Amino acid sequence: MRAASLIVIVAVALPFLLGPFWAYQLGLYALYAAAAVGVGLCWGHAGFLPLGQGLFFGLAAYLSGLTFIAFADLPIIAVLAMPIFAVASALLAYAIGVLVFRRRGESGPYFSMITLALSLLAFQIATSWNSVTGGFNGLKGIPGLPGLNDFSDVYYVSAAMLLAVLAIAGWLYTAPVGVLWRALAQNERRVQLFGFDTNQLKAVAFGVSGLMAGIGGVVYAPQQGIVTPQAVGFGVSADLVIWTAVGGRANLLGPVIGTLLVGSLTAQLRDTLPFWEVLMAIFFIVIVLAFPRGIVGLADPLASFLKGRRKQAHVAAPKRLSSDQPARLVLNGVGVRAGEFTILDRLSLDFDPTGIFCVIGPNGAGKTSMFNAVSGELATVTGSIDLGDASVSGLTPHRVTRLGVARKLQIPSVFQHLSIADNLAIALWSGRARKLQLLDPRLRRWTTPMLEDLQKRYPFLASVERKAGELSHGEQQILELAMALLTEPRVLLLDEPCAGLSPEETTAVIGIVRWAAQRLGGAIIVIEHDMSLVKELAEVVYVLHNGTLLAKGSVAAIQADAAVRAVYVGGEK
Amino acid sequence: MDPLIVTQAINLVYAVSTLAVLALGLAVIFGLLGVLNIAHGEFIMIGAYCAYVTQSGHWPYLAAVPLTLIVCGILGWAVEWIMIRPLYRRPFDTLVATWGLSLLLRKIAEAIFGLGFYSVNIPLPGTVHFLDTEYPIYRLLLIAVSLLIVVGLVIWYGGSRTGSRIRAMVSNPDLAQAQGISVRRLAAGTFIVGTCLAGLGGVMLAPLIPVQPFMGLDYVLRAFFVLIVGGLGSVSGLLSGAAVIGGVDSIISATSSATDGYFAVLVLSILFLWLRPRGIVARS
Repeated sequence: MRAASLIVIVAVALPFLLGPFWAYQLGLYALYAAAAVGVGLCWGHAGFLPLGQGLFFGLAAYLSGLTFIAFADLPIIAVLAMPIFAVASALLAYAIGVLVFRRRGESGPYFSMITLALSLLAFQIATSWNSVTGGFNGLKGIPGLPGLNDFSDVYYVSAAMLLAVLAIAGWLYTAPVGVLWRALAQNERRVQLFGFDTNQLKAVAFGVSGLMAGIGGVVYAPQQGIVTPQAVGFGVSADLVIWTAVGGRANLLGPVIGTLLVGSLTAQLRDTLPFWEVLMAIFFIVIVLAFPRGIVGLADPLASFLKGRRKQAHVAAPKRLSSDQPARLVLNGVGVRAGEFTILDRLSLDFDPTGIFCVIGPNGAGKTSMFNAVSGELATVTGSIDLGDASVSGLTPHRVTRLGVARKLQIPSVFQHLSIADNLAIALWSGRARKLQLLDPRLRRWTTPMLEDLQKRYPFLASVERKAGELSHGEQQILELAMALLTEPRVLLLDEPCAGLSPEETTAVIGIVRWAAQRLGGAIIVIEHDMSLVKELAEVVYVLHNGTLLAKGSVAAIQADAAVRAVYVGGEK
Repeated sequence: MDPLIVTQAINLVYAVSTLAVLALGLAVIFGLLGVLNIAHGEFIMIGAYCAYVTQSGHWPYLAAVPLTLIVCGILGWAVEWIMIRPLYRRPFDTLVATWGLSLLLRKIAEAIFGLGFYSVNIPLPGTVHFLDTEYPIYRLLLIAVSLLIVVGLVIWYGGSRTGSRIRAMVSNPDLAQAQGISVRRLAAGTFIVGTCLAGLGGVMLAPLIPVQPFMGLDYVLRAFFVLIVGGLGSVSGLLSGAAVIGGVDSIISATSSATDGYFAVLVLSILFLWLRPRGIVARS
C-alpha cells in the first residue's frame, strides 16, 4: 500500500515539476509503458516472450482512431467505444494464445517467432490497405479526446490508464493465477500434474497483455492525432521488449521505469548521439545476459522496505471438488509404443482402493512409463485405464489429476524460485479452487488440517519467506511429497521417493508414507528399487518385466518366485 | 509448352531452391546446436552488404564470397564465444540474446549505411533460351549453386570425419567429450558454418533485391517457417519445407497479393505446429 500511494503521488506531481512539454512526452510514454507492463507479465512471470506486441497496441489505436474520425461530431460515442477496442485486442491475443499454445504447449521460440511474424503481417496490412488505414502515411487528423484543455490534462488521462494497468497487474501478481504463471515458467509439466490447464493459463496471460497493449493503443490515437503503420509494426514491438528488459521484467514497476527512462532518453539523444541506438542494443544484450532483473533489481532493498510486512490469518480450504472416495485403479491390456519399441505390452494391473503397493522391476521394465500412462502423459495405443467408474485413458494430465491422481516425480521438482508457502499453496489449490477463484488473492492463505499436521512434523514447511530452492535435497523430497499429499488424492503415485536420500531421510519418508496411507485412506503406489524399503512398505508387490506383469503377491511370495529371481539374477527371460 | 508456364515453373524452382539455401544455415544451427538464431536474417543482410561493398569498390563480384566468409566467419566466431557458449541448453535465453544481436547488427548497418535502399548490379546479365522461353541466366545459375550447396553440405556431413563427430556431439555431448572430441570447438565451428551459409545466401540474392538494414527480418521468418513445415534433422525435410513455403508464397503472391501470400504462409505454419508439430518428414 505504501508503494501504491507513493506512485500515485509521484504521478500527480510530475507535470508540476517538469512543465508541459515533458508532461506531454511522459503522457505518450505512459501509454507505451502500459503495453510494456503486459510484456513484463508474459516474459517475467509466465515465461514466454511476445515479440510482436505492437500488433495489439496498433490494432486498438487504429480502431480507436477510425471511430474518433467517424464520430467527430459526437466524440462521446468514440470515448464509450474505447474500452470495447481494448477488449478486442485482448480477445485477439487470447485467441492467438489458445491457437499457438494448444497443441504443443509451446512457449519457447515458436511462440515468439509467430508473434513476430504476426506483427510484420499487421504492418503489411496497415501499409497496403489504403482505403481504411490511410496506407503508409497513416490515419491522419484524429480528433483529440473531448474536454481536455492542455498538455497536462492529456498527461493525466495517460497516467490514469497506466495506473489502472498497474493495478490490474499488481492484483494478478498477488493472486493465485500469478503464482501459477511463475510456477509454470519454471516447470510447466509439474503445474499440469497439479491439475491446471497450463495452455489456458498462458493464453490468459497473453490475453491480459493484449488488453494492456490495447488500453495504451486506444488512448494513443486521440492523443497523437495520427496512427501510422509503425504503431503495429516491428519497431514498437522491439522497443517494448527492450524497455521491459532494461527496467526489469519480473518487477511490477520495472517495465514502466524502463519505458520512461529509455524512451525519454532515446527521444533526447537519438539525433545528437549517432551511435545511440547501437549502444542501446549492446546495453540490452548485456542486461539480458548479466542482469536479468534489470535496473529495478538494483533497488531491491528499497522495495522490501516499501512492501511492509504483516502476518495474515489462515483460512480453511474447502473440500475437493471431485469425489474423494477411494477407488480401484485398473489397467486393462494397456499398450504404449515409442516408434518400433514396445514400452508397455498389454499390461494389466489391478490396485485395491486402499493400501500401499510397490511396483518393482529391472531398469526398462516400464515402471515409470506405467505412471506416465496413468497420469495422461503417455498416449496408450491399446487397452483402458479406469479409476473407479471413470475412464482415465485419453484424458490430458491436468484432467487426470482432477480425478484425484497425484504424482511425485523421480527427480525432485518443486518450484525452486517460489517460496515454500507458495509451493504448498499450489498443491492446496489443486482440485479445490474453481477457475475464477484463481483471481482471489485470499486463496494464498488457505490451510488444511493435513497441512497443519505436516507443518508440525516438519517445521521448515511453515516458513513463509524461504524459497524452495534454498532447501536441501532431502527437504525438497519431503516438500514435494507433502505437496502430493496435500491434494488429498485417491491414488498417489510415488516414483522412487527415497532416491538419493540419507538413511535418516529415508526413515522420515517411510514414516510419512505410512502416515499418509492411514490419513488419506486411498491407494499409494510406490516404484522402488530398494528391497528393504519394499519389505517395510508394501502390502502387495507387483513385478514388471518387459512391459508386462511378471508376478504379483506378498513380499515373501515374490522373493520365492522363480521367474522373478531369474529376471533379477539375469537368467533366461 | 506454353512459355509462360515454363517461366512460372522455373520461377517456382528458383524460389524454392534459394529459400532452401536461406533456411540451411538456420537449420544447421537450430537442428544441431538447439539454438534458434534470430539474427540469421542479419547475417544474410551482411552478405548482401558485402556484395554492395564489393561492387562499389569495383572488384569482381566473386570477391564478395571470400569477403562475406571472412566477415560472417569472424562475427560468427565472436558471437558464439561471447553470447552463445554461456547459454547452451538454455534455449529461452539464447532466443532473447540472438534477438538482441539481430537488433544490434541492424542498428550497426543503419549507422554505417543509413536507412536507404541500395541496389547491386546483376553480375551475369542477359537471358538464356530454355524450353521455348527466355530466362535470366543469373537466376538459373542461382538454382544450380543452391542445389550444389545443399547437396555438398549433406555429402560432407554424412561422409566426413567432422560430420560424424558432429553427429556424436548432437546425440550426446558429454559422451562425445569423453571420447576426446572437443565439443566446444566443434559447436563453435558448426555455428560459424551456419552464419557463413547465411552470408553466402545474402551474396547470392543481393543483385535481385533491395539491400537495406531491415531485409533480414523477412528472411529469418521465412526460413523459420521452412523449418516448422519441414521439421528438423533431414534434408528431405528442409527441401519439402522450402517447397511448401516457397511454393505457397509464390503462387498466392502471383495470383493475389504479397500480403495474402505472407498470410497464407503464416497460417500454414501455425497449422503445421498444431497438426504435425514435427514437420512433414517426421521420423517417428
